[in-house]
Amino acid sequence: MSLRTRTLRAGTYLGLTGLAGVTLFPLLWVTSIALMRAPEAAAGTPPLWPHHPTLVNVINIISRQHLGRYFFNSIVVATATMALSVLVAGSAGYALARVEFRGRRVVSWLVMLGVLIPNQALVLPLFEMFRTVHLVNHYAALVLPAAANPVGIVLVQAYMRGIPVEILDAARIDGASEWRIYRSIVVPLMAPMLAAVGVLVFVVSWNDFMWPMIAMQQEGMQTLPVALAAIDREHYQDIGLMAAGATMTMLPMVVVFLASQRYYLRSVIAGSLTD
Amino acid sequence: MAALEIEHVEKILRGGQAVLRDVSCSARDGELLVVVGPSGCGKSTLLRLVAGLESVTRGVIRIGERTVNELPPQQRDVAMVFQNHALYPHMTVYENLAFGLRVRGTPRARLDQRVRLVAAQLGIEAMLKRFPRELSGGQRQRTALGRAMLRNPSVFLLDEPLSSLDAPLRAELRRELAALHRSLGATMVYVTHDQSEALSLGQRMVVLAGGRVQQIDTPAHVFQRPANRFVAGFVGWPPMNFLTADSFDDVARVPAGQGALEYGVRPECFSARPGGGDDLQLTGRIERIESQGSEWDLELTHRLGRVLARLRPERTLEVGEQIRLWVARGHLHAFDLTSGARVELKP
Repeated sequence: MSLRTRTLRAGTYLGLTGLAGVTLFPLLWVTSIALMRAPEAAAGTPPLWPHHPTLVNVINIISRQHLGRYFFNSIVVATATMALSVLVAGSAGYALARVEFRGRRVVSWLVMLGVLIPNQALVLPLFEMFRTVHLVNHYAALVLPAAANPVGIVLVQAYMRGIPVEILDAARIDGASEWRIYRSIVVPLMAPMLAAVGVLVFVVSWNDFMWPMIAMQQEGMQTLPVALAAIDREHYQDIGLMAAGATMTMLPMVVVFLASQRYYLRSVIAGSLTD
Repeated sequence: MAALEIEHVEKILRGGQAVLRDVSCSARDGELLVVVGPSGCGKSTLLRLVAGLESVTRGVIRIGERTVNELPPQQRDVAMVFQNHALYPHMTVYENLAFGLRVRGTPRARLDQRVRLVAAQLGIEAMLKRFPRELSGGQRQRTALGRAMLRNPSVFLLDEPLSSLDAPLRAELRRELAALHRSLGATMVYVTHDQSEALSLGQRMVVLAGGRVQQIDTPAHVFQRPANRFVAGFVGWPPMNFLTADSFDDVARVPAGQGALEYGVRPECFSARPGGGDDLQLTGRIERIESQGSEWDLELTHRLGRVLARLRPERTLEVGEQIRLWVARGHLHAFDLTSGARVELKP
């Protein structure tokens, strides 16, 4: 390796380490504060490291604030949303990219339009809709509107367009039914993109605040971020407790991310075709 | 195996553009039929119509006794090899080969036996556990061929299967393919834009241009008696020269026919010395000399234009030199100047 490439590589690593540091620092600090006793955490600027680490905040927030219940709500909602939206994005994206049907372009345009509409604009009509069908305060109120995720559909559609149509033609000639092609060829080929969409949807659903706050008003049905905000209003002086709540909110994200990274980092297309 | 018949097939796109116009041709049972033409002539579309990947606008396609116009690709009992191989990237070579039989519910033992047999025929037994991305170009091509062979289809459709490979490998696989065709006794339709491939491979060839059939015949006949000016210029390399009668030194001796004619002479039909008494003669100045090893390609300017000659010269030639070339009357092709159709000359 020449000096030039070595310097270049060192610079790259240095830059990336710096970026990772900037990203990770607040997360680690919040986790650290969660492990501090009240006086330490309440200092104007809490220290970086707890002098006497304790789990009292974690225990408090779970036992006294019923965080477990909200945690469960969030897990149910985010998981269901992820599963449903991957299913919808996978089939709709594939259909819009590779299946000939009447009105395909119109539907494509409508989905694109859906990407542009801000969620806030949908809150009122959505609430009216769900109240009419008596689904307010029900998990379905959070899951169903997010299931048809236009961003996910557009991403899958674009990804699918990059997969050569000859692969599907070959399967057709091989005798596979359309359903079999979808199951045995299309889904495995889309897997990296579906994983990416799944993670994206999970994170968005997990962090969503406005719509869950409006749609889930009954005590005990709130999701974590909404519940956390409520705790914040009551215990705004208890920084350690808040940090423990925030840490527990972040944790599943880290798990989801680590568990799924190998899927969307994988590139399965390489080598199928001549370059 | 079965014969393939294509009768008066037309393909007109939704925008009204005609890709194929009144195409009729057939591949006999066990025949290797080559469809050749420049890019955009509709040859790939023709294959896709036979495979059922696109539908015909008019006409009939028959495989064996069955009219397959309305059948989906799954039911046509054809196999296709694509230009870009189109292997399933997430499956091993074994799974790529097995897929067609697997979706048809073939018992595992028979499937395994069949996959190993075909892999052995193609020399890819050692690759069965690999993924397509781990294969060389030739191995990918063999896998694609194997996938087609596995089901013993009625008709093989090959869409420029060798064009993505480098020249030596292409030649090797071309020989293998010809041998394979003989041993399988399969009906094959082979599409290529490479006229030399068509000449060397086909039992009969269909020359396609502008969506129309120009000529169907054996390679030898297509080469010796091209049906029109297009075929004459397309088949054979270097391409045929087209001359008018007064390009020759003695216009009076050029055989005439009905109407205005254009004459075609293949570069290798020129000779540097007179052969017989009725040879035609053409004088020109050497503009360029290119060695092809034992032969030389000369570009000459004559009275009315340029001409390319491939010679085996007996002495050193120089650029700028005047040279006289002879061509036997029997080597002269004649085409109608307006229609381009071949005109037979009286001997």
